[in-house]
Amino acid sequence: MEGRPADDSVLIARAVRGDSAAYEEIVHRYQQLAFRTAYVITGSAADAEDAAQEGFVKAYRALDRFRLDADFRPWLLRIMANEARNRVRSSGRRHRLELRLTESFRPGDAAPSPEAVAVAMDERRRLLAMVNELGDDDRMVIASRYFLELSGEETAAALGIAEGTVKSRLSRALARLRARVEETANA
Amino acid sequence: MPDLERQLTGLAGAIDWPPTPRLNVVLPIYGEVTGLAGRRGWRRWPYALAAGVLIVATLLAYTPTRDVIAGWLNLHTTIHQEQHPPTPSPRPPGQLGSSLGLGTAVTLEEAQGQVSWKIAVPSALGQPDAVYLKQPPSGPSQGEVTLVYGHSPGIKVSGQTGVAVLVTEARGRINENFFQKMIGPESTIEQVSVGGHAGYWIAGHPHDFVFTDANGNFHDDALRLATNTLIFDHNGTLVRIEADMTKAQALQIAGSL
Repeated sequence: MEGRPADDSVLIARAVRGDSAAYEEIVHRYQQLAFRTAYVITGSAADAEDAAQEGFVKAYRALDRFRLDADFRPWLLRIMANEARNRVRSSGRRHRLELRLTESFRPGDAAPSPEAVAVAMDERRRLLAMVNELGDDDRMVIASRYFLELSGEETAAALGIAEGTVKSRLSRALARLRARVEETANA
Repeated sequence: MPDLERQLTGLAGAIDWPPTPRLNVVLPIYGEVTGLAGRRGWRRWPYALAAGVLIVATLLAYTPTRDVIAGWLNLHTTIHQEQHPPTPSPRPPGQLGSSLGLGTAVTLEEAQGQVSWKIAVPSALGQPDAVYLKQPPSGPSQGEVTLVYGHSPGIKVSGQTGVAVLVTEARGRINENFFQKMIGPESTIEQVSVGGHAGYWIAGHPHDFVFTDANGNFHDDALRLATNTLIFDHNGTLVRIEADMTKAQALQIAGSL
């Protein structure tokens, strides 16, 4: 996995030997990714927190089965996502994921005019609103790939589908989103 | 909109995610909940190794023919295992399979009293040498029973665990997406039929197995022996047979349930 710190395996090996500080470092390193992934699946911050906590405990229990030559992120994400899905199942409810745009975000132009900023923000809001209107599968695959910036393998692990299915599902989701965008533009 | 993907990527830094909470991850104590200490013998292993080295060194120092002593101790095999250990643990003490994290040791009758299905014992293997029961939350929703065999004709005993065959049963069904994903490149999967039910023959060194338990929850389980495995449905019960066996041997055992 690109950008993955090389010493993940060192931390894991230490954690497997009983070094809890090493595992705390792993938790610290991946807690945001774990929480956000669980949030995409559950649509609830409270459920995502519970899922991430329990997921890290389960990962710890299973850590000695992790092969050090494998990618850790997909392995961890699969556990987290399983835990998140189990929570959705056991509660019998899925909160609809509603992604919002942060108010503090500004486009990357060097010194955009207030008008340009407003237009750019408005475009982003409209696009995100269209993503929110998509079906669960479409929304989750787009959120995983583009907003969580997961790889294909990680997205497959998070969504519990084959990597090939990620590609086809993403392609269909983009096609539906594109149709909505064009429909709005032509209206 | 030709740049739709670029625009979506541009949104990544603009999403207003809920603040990541400070996670309160309470880790289980090794050897108490996880069984990891037993599996890998972290605590005792250095001492056992040091004692073993001392004994071997003493014997080699005082005997005329080192090769003979090495032969007595099967030293060559031991050295080879130390150089290429699949898991760095000596054969653990205690009841057969107690180090594998299979749950609580019970009798077959006790296990039967705790689960809803009729535990199937393969007649090809006979009565198990040990039985373990794993209940939720560490086990699947309706429990998991493992029959442990220390020997079986024609099947090699694991030098690490002293176990020849594991037969694990739980109510559930195979989740093919996860299952196939988890097997890894070291193994091959072949669909088989066992008594008219769907099954999979996994040859190689699979380590993990994910299935959907009776309540629809995903359950992640280790394939303890990381060796050839036959997985199949047996009237709603998912049965796994793990052993250093051939496919024919596996199907014979499965057919005797």
